[in-house]
Amino acid sequence: MRTGVFFCQGEERKGINIDSVAKYSANLPDVETVQILKTSPPPDIGYLAGQIKALSLGRVVIAGDFPGYFKPVFTRAMALAGGNTAEVRLASFKEHGARGENAMDRAKAIVACAVMGVPFPLAAVPGGNPVNHATLIIGGGIAGIQASLEIANAGKQVYLVEQSGTIGGHMAMFDKTFPTLDCAACILTPKMVSVGQHEMIRLLTKSNVISVSGKPGSYKVKIKQKARFVDVKSCVACNQCTDVCPVRVKSEFDAGISIRKAIYIPFPQAVPNAYLIDETSCTYILTGGEKCGVCAKKCPKECINLNETDKIIDVEVGTIIIATGYEFLDVSKIEQYGYGRYPNVVTSIEFERLTNASGTTGGRIVTKSKRINKKTGTEEWYFSPEGLPPRSVALIHCVGSRNKKYNPYCSRVCCMYSLKFAHLIKEKVPNVSVYEFYIDMRAFGKGYEEFAERIRQEGTFVVRGHSASVSMKNNQMVVKGEDILNDRLVEFEVDMVVLAVGLVPSPGTAELAQMLGIPRDEDGWFSELDYNGNPTDTDRGGIYVAGMCQAPKDIPDTVAQASAVAAGVLKNLTSGKGIGHMSSIPLSEIEAKAKKIQIF
Amino acid sequence: MATRVNPEFIDDLDRFGAEDVKMCYQCGDCSTVCPHADEIFKFPRKSMRLLQMGLESKIETTLEPWLCYYCGQCSEQCPREADPGETMMSLRRWLISRYDFTGIARLFFRSRIAEIAAIIIIALITGAFLLYYGFTGGNIGIYDGEGAFLPSGFIHRFDLTVGGILLIFLVINAFRMWNFTMLKNTSLKVPWWLYITEIWQFPWHFFTQKRYAECEQKHEHPVYMPWLLHLGLMLGYVTMLVLVMVFVEALQSGPEIIWEVHIFGYLASAGLLAGTIYFIRNRLRKNYIQYKKSHGTDWVFVILLTIIVLTGIAQHVLHRTGVYEWANYLYVIHLMAVVPWLLRMPFCKWSHLLYRPLAMYFAAIRREAVRRQETILNNYPVFVK
Repeated sequence: MRTGVFFCQGEERKGINIDSVAKYSANLPDVETVQILKTSPPPDIGYLAGQIKALSLGRVVIAGDFPGYFKPVFTRAMALAGGNTAEVRLASFKEHGARGENAMDRAKAIVACAVMGVPFPLAAVPGGNPVNHATLIIGGGIAGIQASLEIANAGKQVYLVEQSGTIGGHMAMFDKTFPTLDCAACILTPKMVSVGQHEMIRLLTKSNVISVSGKPGSYKVKIKQKARFVDVKSCVACNQCTDVCPVRVKSEFDAGISIRKAIYIPFPQAVPNAYLIDETSCTYILTGGEKCGVCAKKCPKECINLNETDKIIDVEVGTIIIATGYEFLDVSKIEQYGYGRYPNVVTSIEFERLTNASGTTGGRIVTKSKRINKKTGTEEWYFSPEGLPPRSVALIHCVGSRNKKYNPYCSRVCCMYSLKFAHLIKEKVPNVSVYEFYIDMRAFGKGYEEFAERIRQEGTFVVRGHSASVSMKNNQMVVKGEDILNDRLVEFEVDMVVLAVGLVPSPGTAELAQMLGIPRDEDGWFSELDYNGNPTDTDRGGIYVAGMCQAPKDIPDTVAQASAVAAGVLKNLTSGKGIGHMSSIPLSEIEAKAKKIQIF
Repeated sequence: MATRVNPEFIDDLDRFGAEDVKMCYQCGDCSTVCPHADEIFKFPRKSMRLLQMGLESKIETTLEPWLCYYCGQCSEQCPREADPGETMMSLRRWLISRYDFTGIARLFFRSRIAEIAAIIIIALITGAFLLYYGFTGGNIGIYDGEGAFLPSGFIHRFDLTVGGILLIFLVINAFRMWNFTMLKNTSLKVPWWLYITEIWQFPWHFFTQKRYAECEQKHEHPVYMPWLLHLGLMLGYVTMLVLVMVFVEALQSGPEIIWEVHIFGYLASAGLLAGTIYFIRNRLRKNYIQYKKSHGTDWVFVILLTIIVLTGIAQHVLHRTGVYEWANYLYVIHLMAVVPWLLRMPFCKWSHLLYRPLAMYFAAIRREAVRRQETILNNYPVFVK
């Protein structure tokens, strides 16, 4: 079939030299013409139709980063010229991952496949390396837990690496899940216990991956396990060590709204259910063993060893799943909301811990109370179980999200959890006014829109309009905003402001990406191979992504993706074909394969 | 009446400086932080919305752009970097071109070349005319009195002519503004006597620019510097205008200084100079958000003003020191800058001198009318069954 190749590349991208790809494609069989078109203004339909007619082209290939953008123009030109519009084919460099070292070869292969009329994923199938049947999962949140359970239940060995003292991740901190208002812990903790007890899962808490070598199918991984100082097997969680510990620091699990000791258990349902010592605050460790050490003396089981050292563990695995999750944006840098200045402006995760029945106030929603810090003599604000309940609460959406200065992307979960907060506040505090300030209500999932409607009917004032100012007037917090749908400016006196803070990749993401050789997108999340067709695979064979570390997503999506990853991993393990990775396939192989498919 | 939508309006405004309106996603942050937005005049978001919808005929009737003093807070806050502050500025430019019936303002705003060419042509005509007049009847070595190069009586008549032309344009434009914003805007019935009871708003806002000061309160400037400088520039300009139009004989006599008149001249010059230096500095440094983007007309304004102030001061000094010949030449150059500057006024941003206080006055009337309407509705509730 006579084929014309048209390059529509907006801006010059690193790694791809259009001229050289064009030269290559001119030598492909059946190619009649190769043209590099300007994209702005978009190609002229009349000119294209003329070209198609003059050269009597049967097939048109549009090549570039976003060729789909120009497809309508070419389709119309094809129709004008009287050709078959189904033969307008796309060669998308971006979609099929032409980037990194092999970008040029990949781009050529993509064009070649399009010219032959063969879908690229059909021709480019990596494979070959034998597979080690063990799997490493980095991150012990709900994604990591789900994936490890799926794989382990299929009878395969799993190493689950978690950097904190317990698995569970952010989901363990939540009170309820939207939109069903199920108790998050009731879903998560049974899974956590299963992970802890599973014979096929080796759980490595307080651990970090420090180096990865090898190739797809057989990776050699070095894991550094930090000292826990408490023997997991013999600890019975009697809490006597915590009672005597003199150090008081902010609890990470409670998002900083409560106090824990240096020897602690993150939360009662932690897995492994054993105490640990925070080496950054423990007096004994900080002084090099000169002071304190009372916990070790007190422990009835004698399971505290304050002189324990870090261990390096070497494992060999065939596949690696990244499930490192996310972190919250530092909201104190967005000044207009007064976070840090006004005590009762709290972030969503702080509020989540406040309203959680296992939280510091036992689930009562209260405003902060003042107390004098005995040590420093300064005033400080804290959540006391006897605090006053708020009379009115403002919930502000999109704090740092969809904002060009902070996160340009939508964090996807904030609308829904803010609506959930509105419900919880209405449920727990009598006669409270709740104001939701939103820009666009992104209730996209199953049952979400109904949930949003339900919250409206519960009497929450849902204001379409973002608030950008929280100020203090006569000791009363005032939230200003524009109620766009009712066409008025509003000023609400509130006792508490909850900021729906945007999400960012967790702190170690950059190093991990470098270590594993996986690209990240412009927002810092891990890049998948193909957003639509291969949302769990990465550029490197045998390395997968699951959950928030790929992009913000809610719990159902995270669980679904984790299960999908497990399916992909098990496919590699059971198919017997082994795994390879895309960038390792040479151009000639893809060409040959495409030719083979073309014949059928 | 059906509302007409002009889908090209947003692109048209591009030429007036509003480049990023399409970015706006209507969050309302700008209206929230704006110190001037109130219950009746909610902006900038609403103006952005009207623009995005292409409601040209509706924007024409709004007063909102004039109520904005461009403190830049909205642009600082904007999550989409849609620059609402600059949009309001561009809308003001566009409104000026709408109020102007000749279409010259539109041409000037859209084409810098046309504007500069017009200025140069008028300056050359002025210069040629003055030189011709001076050399035919006067002596270049005499500044004032018998046989003067440019006698003050002649200058007075000349000034009044230029001022008259200026006034005709301004009055017609002001009437057009009144027509657009008060008559065409039929959403509200305005009782006629409110025009009388609220008339004090016009001089009040003209001479104090109180709302500009309110603008600055949230800003980091210690003593409302931009407001004071803006006020100084405006008062200097108005004082100079009055001096030139009324007291030009006294101004030009000398060489001894007539303090009753000249002191005003010195103060006005100081105000103009300070304002000019401040504007040039900020536009070059781009340190405040409102100076980040400079439209071509802004630079023409600043450069012409600098020439006027410097030549004015120089010819005055040379006259007092007795270098009459050079004083006369500088005087011609000074007038060559002043005449296009004055004639340009109805067609450029400088005309906000008139439109802004007028808008404040109209806005006060509208506000009062709404208040009355609400009172009536509250006292006599209408039940619709």
